[in-house]
Amino acid sequence: MERRKFLGLGVLALTALPATLSAISAIDFRATKPDTWTAHTVDDAVKALFGDITPVEEGVKVNVPAVASSGGAVPVTIKSDIPAKTVAVFQNMNPESATAVFNVPEDGIIDYFMKIKLKATDENGGKGTVTAIIEGTDGKFYIGKKSLDVAKGGCEG
Amino acid sequence: MGNMKIKAKLKNDVVSAKVLAKHDMLTYDQAKAKGVEANFITHITAKVGDKVVYDVSTSQFWSKNPQFKFKFKGAKKGDKLEITWTDLSGKSVTESKKIK
Repeated sequence: MERRKFLGLGVLALTALPATLSAISAIDFRATKPDTWTAHTVDDAVKALFGDITPVEEGVKVNVPAVASSGGAVPVTIKSDIPAKTVAVFQNMNPESATAVFNVPEDGIIDYFMKIKLKATDENGGKGTVTAIIEGTDGKFYIGKKSLDVAKGGCEG
Repeated sequence: MGNMKIKAKLKNDVVSAKVLAKHDMLTYDQAKAKGVEANFITHITAKVGDKVVYDVSTSQFWSKNPQFKFKFKGAKKGDKLEITWTDLSGKSVTESKKIK
């Protein structure tokens, strides 16, 4: 855990975070990895966040409804028992791909629920995939994904 | 009036937290259509005492009035769960709730 503390301090020193994020173990990935948030594809966003990685497809559960009646608030749950440092959530329906990046606290439980916007367009035909990538404390990367259909006219919700 | 609705319940050493925050979460596209500046929650941190129990950098694609849930260990009944969000404009709101 010393390494995380050290990194946290570095972040604080380099980016002058708002006072509310003064906790040593909070990480603002928008400040530390800005290119992640403007990337238009999942691959580019993953690369900007983690670099060139080859994640193993195991141990990461992504739960979304098979069909979402509205793209305004689609429930997403990410679960895993892998001891993790970071959990990142991406989707391929919106103009940009990055959706959330969790900094997992020590002994953290990975059971994250959030509601997100997914925009059905003529291009994607209302079909998309939510992808989660976990950076384990073992330094390895794990991936899970789930596809869904989203009814049109959602994103305003 | 509060901005957030927070529920935090301890069961078998694990606290389950459920939060609803009031925010328009206006994406760049939505803002452009309305002729206003985009604004959305960019970061959420939850703490019990000095310990961070939830820490997430968020995007414009969280839903309007975003709802989120998480679980953590190491807290007891009566402890205060303190949640802070910050948005793109720099506004920050902190609210807390006792763990039941």
